[in-house]
Amino acid sequence: MTRVDLLIMIIAVAALPLLYLQLWGPNYRGTEVNIIVADQKPQRHSLLRDQTLAIKGKLGDSIITINNGKAAFIESPCRNKQCIHSGWHSRNGDTTACLPNRITLSVVGDGIARFDSVTF
Amino acid sequence: MTTTIASEREDHIIAWFAALAIAIHVLESAIPSPIPGIKIGLANVVTIVVLVNFGWRTAAWVSLLRVLIGSLVIGSFLSPTFVLSLSGACASLCVIGIAYALARQHLSVMGYSVLAAVAHILTQFWVAYLLFIPHDALFHLLPILVTVAIITGIVNGSLALAIQKRLKLLIYEP
Repeated sequence: MTRVDLLIMIIAVAALPLLYLQLWGPNYRGTEVNIIVADQKPQRHSLLRDQTLAIKGKLGDSIITINNGKAAFIESPCRNKQCIHSGWHSRNGDTTACLPNRITLSVVGDGIARFDSVTF
Repeated sequence: MTTTIASEREDHIIAWFAALAIAIHVLESAIPSPIPGIKIGLANVVTIVVLVNFGWRTAAWVSLLRVLIGSLVIGSFLSPTFVLSLSGACASLCVIGIAYALARQHLSVMGYSVLAAVAHILTQFWVAYLLFIPHDALFHLLPILVTVAIITGIVNGSLALAIQKRLKLLIYEP
């Protein structure tokens, strides 16, 4: 191994914390939450304003709370409560859904994603 | 009339090492990965060792043949996996090509391995984001992927170093 090798390794390892800071840090927080109920127009709510929303889905009302830049399902008429267990969502791209109640919640930031994914 | 294609020493070297790399590539594909997209990439050890001993051209042949034939054997030819594999290999080859041209005397297999691993994952990530999953949430994975790439780069580099040591013994000892 040479000195240049060592330099390359040190630079690579030293750049890692920056990457974590950049992509997992506060800069990557979302600004709005996009709530979609099946067959309805998506509704957008700012993550900056704390509020509690009652969203009417197929089974009944799901309660979504926005608090301190984070959003979560706190009550839902579904059986498994997966949406509630998924917890708080604050980062750009975070997504959760209550499939029985036909509601999805996703955090969006400045960039607009055209597709969720493409499969083959 | 018969035409014969003369094979040169370089062709034989390429064929031998490509075969070795393909075997490693196929064997490794049988090892289950803990997280999709994470792989040690042991076949790259071959590329790096060939680079140091026989030059960039031979290494590029070995690497690209490995990606092409490896995908045919595994059955992922022209699938997203293949596209990612090929883009990663091309990026790695570009980066180690530049490093080889600029600082051949100052670099060993370890440096090339780490450079190649990082170039590989960054390009794969970019291609995956552009073509397959253009979703912002993908960026949360990037730090983990780069961490693993650096670790695998160092692991592969250490393996290549060990191989280099043995090769030198073989070549220089009577």
